[in-house]
Amino acid sequence: MAKKVRGVVKLQIPAGKATPAQPIGPALGQHGINIMAFVKEYNERTASMAGSIVPVEITVYEDRSFTFVTKTPPASDLLKKAAGVAKGAATPNKAKVGSITRAQLREIAEMKMRDLNATSIEGAERIVEGAARSMGITIQ
Amino acid sequence: MPAYWLELSVTADPETVESITEVISRYTQGGVAIEEPFELRDDGLTHFPIPGAQVTCRVWIPDDVAAEETRARIEEGMWRLRQIAPGAIGEVQSKRVAEQDWANAWKEHYHPLPLGERVVIRPSWRDYAPTGDQVVIELDPGMAFGTGLHPTTRNCVRLVEQAVRPGDRVLDVGCGSGILSLAALKLGAASALALDVSSVAVEATAENARLNGLADRVDARLATLEGADSEAYLPLPPEVAFLGAEIGTYDLVLANIIARVIGQLAPALLRATRPGGLLIASGIIEERRDEAVAPLVAAGLTEIREVVENDWVTLIGRRATD
Repeated sequence: MAKKVRGVVKLQIPAGKATPAQPIGPALGQHGINIMAFVKEYNERTASMAGSIVPVEITVYEDRSFTFVTKTPPASDLLKKAAGVAKGAATPNKAKVGSITRAQLREIAEMKMRDLNATSIEGAERIVEGAARSMGITIQ
Repeated sequence: MPAYWLELSVTADPETVESITEVISRYTQGGVAIEEPFELRDDGLTHFPIPGAQVTCRVWIPDDVAAEETRARIEEGMWRLRQIAPGAIGEVQSKRVAEQDWANAWKEHYHPLPLGERVVIRPSWRDYAPTGDQVVIELDPGMAFGTGLHPTTRNCVRLVEQAVRPGDRVLDVGCGSGILSLAALKLGAASALALDVSSVAVEATAENARLNGLADRVDARLATLEGADSEAYLPLPPEVAFLGAEIGTYDLVLANIIARVIGQLAPALLRATRPGGLLIASGIIEERRDEAVAPLVAAGLTEIREVVENDWVTLIGRRATD
């Protein structure tokens, strides 16, 4: 074993649909790891979540073996679902596409807290609120 | 496939990443890569993000007629974000990169790799004609540790070459890809019991045994030895079995793990080594040597000989005869 870490790569990719194309190929290619082994394993593990973006954190070890863990969907995905909209506003400072409640905001912040590296629930809420504002989703 | 891609990257405060990736995803396909600065802890075995450090989001778009428009839209999106985002967002950087066959390009890193005097690792897509008394192990790099590129693996293989005798029964604790068991079997051992606490490793060992025609001689199990502390390093999955005296004793025991775990397992490793049998332990960072060696000596390991390469200690010793 003696698995010393050589690098870490985070990807936001669609569940069950990973391919060696961008961003997986170029992001992992520089580490020289077996890309097809990653693609196969990721798709197997995330097949049931098809339709969502499932972020993944890949840890590459010194001998180019690797492990990965999947993370909670991006805040933007959760916000779109909560607000019932297909996409964010192109001009978020002017147009508003939808809204969510404070309780929904807190729910998303709680779900995302660990992956956002936030130290408090308030910190996580601020990040999610920022993401909502940038998409033209208001908090009521 | 386009001949060239544009690599677009934005470096920004971590609070803004979720917004940035949302904007990028509106105009691009496939996903976004995120690079987060991290620090290594626990002798490099684990990593943690550096709080507050800026993060880089990266995406690659085909460098075709639509590229300029996509880039302009992302730039405009970043400009809008800067007005309302909770942190700083840098300029969009772009770089032209040549298309590569990513599904296969990584294979260029791998060639037949001699590990010791006799053992050669051959990736399945390379040819290799062994000379003299060389033995070839077919092994493709994958998720499980043990590709042959790490000094601990290499030095273990070298010691296995010296230690293994025809007909030996081998126990491999922390088998990873199975590389050490396969080397021992190719060099004349009769059978190997290969244990790992990772199901990925157990599956890789079974698959690699099959690739090398050794499936009937390798027993790969999701297990460790009694004495392992299930919370010591990473919490162990609940399915992991803890094996005790019922597995009997072995002529050659291999433990390429880490110093602390070898120290914990020392009594169990020695109990599993037959009197007069050999134990090879590795994965030991030099400054943690005593965490492994002292318990091994206390448990009855004698005639210890060490090999050191790049801070990594590999050792071989004999269980005293009663």
